[in-house]
Amino acid sequence: MKEGDIGPLSPRREFLKRGLQAAAALAATGGMGAWLWNRHPPGDLSTEKAFDPRKDFAMGIEGPRMSIAAGQDRAVMLRTALKALGGIERFIKRGDRVLIKVNAAFATPAALAATSHPALVAEIVRLCRTAGASSVVVTDNPINDPASCFELTGIGQAVRQSGGDLFLPYAGAFRKGSLPGAKLIRNWPVMQEPFKGVTKLIGVAPVKNHQRAGASMTLKNWYGLLGGRRNQFHQDIDGIITELAALVRPTFVILDGTQSMMTNGPTGGSLADLKDTHALVVSTDPVAADAFGCTLLGKTVHDLPYLIRAGELGLGAVDYESLRPIRVEARAS
Amino acid sequence: MPYKIRALFGIECAVLASPPGYSHATGILSVPARHGMNSIPARVPSLAEKAVSAGVVVLLCGVLGGMLLAQAHFSPPVRVAGALALGAPRPAESIAPGLFATWPAGISPMGPAETFPAATLSDKIDGKAELYLSAGFVRLACQRARSGVGSDSWVEFFVYEMGTPSNAYSVWSSQKRPDASDAGVGDYSYRAENELCMVHGQFYVEVVGADSGELNRRAAESLAKAFVAGTPVKAHANLQSEQALFPVQGLVPGSIALVPSDVFGSDRLKAVFVAHYQDGAAAVTLFMARRGAPADAEREVAEFGTFLAQDCDGKIVAPGGKSVRPGLLSVFDLGGSFDAVFSEGPYLAGVHQAPSAASAERWAETLRQRIRGGAP
Repeated sequence: MKEGDIGPLSPRREFLKRGLQAAAALAATGGMGAWLWNRHPPGDLSTEKAFDPRKDFAMGIEGPRMSIAAGQDRAVMLRTALKALGGIERFIKRGDRVLIKVNAAFATPAALAATSHPALVAEIVRLCRTAGASSVVVTDNPINDPASCFELTGIGQAVRQSGGDLFLPYAGAFRKGSLPGAKLIRNWPVMQEPFKGVTKLIGVAPVKNHQRAGASMTLKNWYGLLGGRRNQFHQDIDGIITELAALVRPTFVILDGTQSMMTNGPTGGSLADLKDTHALVVSTDPVAADAFGCTLLGKTVHDLPYLIRAGELGLGAVDYESLRPIRVEARAS
Repeated sequence: MPYKIRALFGIECAVLASPPGYSHATGILSVPARHGMNSIPARVPSLAEKAVSAGVVVLLCGVLGGMLLAQAHFSPPVRVAGALALGAPRPAESIAPGLFATWPAGISPMGPAETFPAATLSDKIDGKAELYLSAGFVRLACQRARSGVGSDSWVEFFVYEMGTPSNAYSVWSSQKRPDASDAGVGDYSYRAENELCMVHGQFYVEVVGADSGELNRRAAESLAKAFVAGTPVKAHANLQSEQALFPVQGLVPGSIALVPSDVFGSDRLKAVFVAHYQDGAAAVTLFMARRGAPADAEREVAEFGTFLAQDCDGKIVAPGGKSVRPGLLSVFDLGGSFDAVFSEGPYLAGVHQAPSAASAERWAETLRQRIRGGAP
């Protein structure tokens, strides 16, 4: 061996080399861990910086924006109302990932009409699938016992049988958000996780009397996207519903007035609270849908201050007739 | 100059006369071969070892890629897999009895009982919570039960503890369904299509059936009777003395209710009895409440008059006064309908939505006479 050659590794050099390799491996592992570490684990909303929670899925397409189907069979009424607007294909394209926000707020049977009707939910899921949606997920955030709510309302089974999936909320599905310019939705947990990758949003709500808000329809339905101790918003129910109208711009909404809960809402409890009102609305404008819906309850938009405020803020048409709704008779073929 | 290099862990490796090969320019220390020390040849891994190592690296890369792919194509339903356990019914013996130590024959709990204090009541009944909270709500306990062995019929049993019998009567009467029939259980009760509601002491009880079938009707009755039999109360609801003050003629049957708060939209007017009447083709509402002293009643009459004048843009039209005065009748024109308000001793009373000022005056005088006479 020539002088100056390092030659076979000495124990010290071997030690140094392996020490450096180990240190590099540790650094790489630690770096990877730090990169993947979720600093805000599920349920921990205490330190997260508020984000803009607005959910805008409006398509802004030309053409008719509202249809009202008269009838008794919800599935037939939905198909008829959608056909009047150009068919489901006008809104749902092949490959779309659809999120459907239903009202599953209570663990009560469908017959009491306190929640979205399973036959209607099943039909809209099926139609989205038929139109080529790659996924159709149905969700709501009933604070008390979500699993029971979805099962006892019949919505869970309806979704599974029609090719959709259910998303049951949990603490980590929400992110704190502040709606720009809002007084109430500030640094507040808003449902976020099921919106990942979603391209279309549909709201499905029944027409109900609401002892605090006057009426619960498509705008009030977005209340289920809020987490936290949201009952405090009942102190300013008109304010929170107005902000919900600004928070969410859906692809379209379905307002089910086949039966309307005329009194004792929003829970009802008695079949005597219900009245056959034989109407179903499909609209790209939730304000207009609710403005029509309140007439089914024997009210006017002036009985619902949140509708007036939403109209003043340009969030929709309080004068629903200005949209020239297409009125159709829905008969089973 | 002797220069000692000490390796890590204190192993003395070499003592050199000077740090050979050290370049101040580069700061690199190149250590020459240490003749005379034990050296080990660099070990070359075998082919098998290399193959295993490569396999491990490929496997780790695959895991990493899989994780990234799954995150990029997150499927929400994955998060709920297994969450819906409700479909598989639990054996009855595995469920705590909850609201009944022994359930009536044939009726079995579907799940555990739930309880809700005032702070979480809206989690269960959302916007309807305000009605109960304003009426002295203490606690809700509820539980679902199958109405018969092997049956799909079920009911939900709600027990609202309201603090006092009159509070319980208040929420019972203000939700009473039209065309309901007396259920003959508890202090006050009625049966509607699919539900049975009753007052038992300080408790307001609802049994809501998933359908209006006979099995659920029988279960509701059994549960209500079992609750009354097994729940002692300090006092029973008896509000007949107040109810009897309302005129009999024209009274819509079953329409008397005790409204807990926000009476006619006024947040100052609380705990007021109302009764509906038919006045020809028009509907009229009479109201009345007993307060602690005549001064309390006069003060509330004045406050309600102010509410009608300021918040409802009402104008006093009869019997000629320009402001509400203690004890005197004041009639307000509210733009097509007429309200009247007065006090009589410790009672505040009045008329709501009469079709004319004359109608409002006539009904108010009738009511005043009933109160004066302590009818019946």
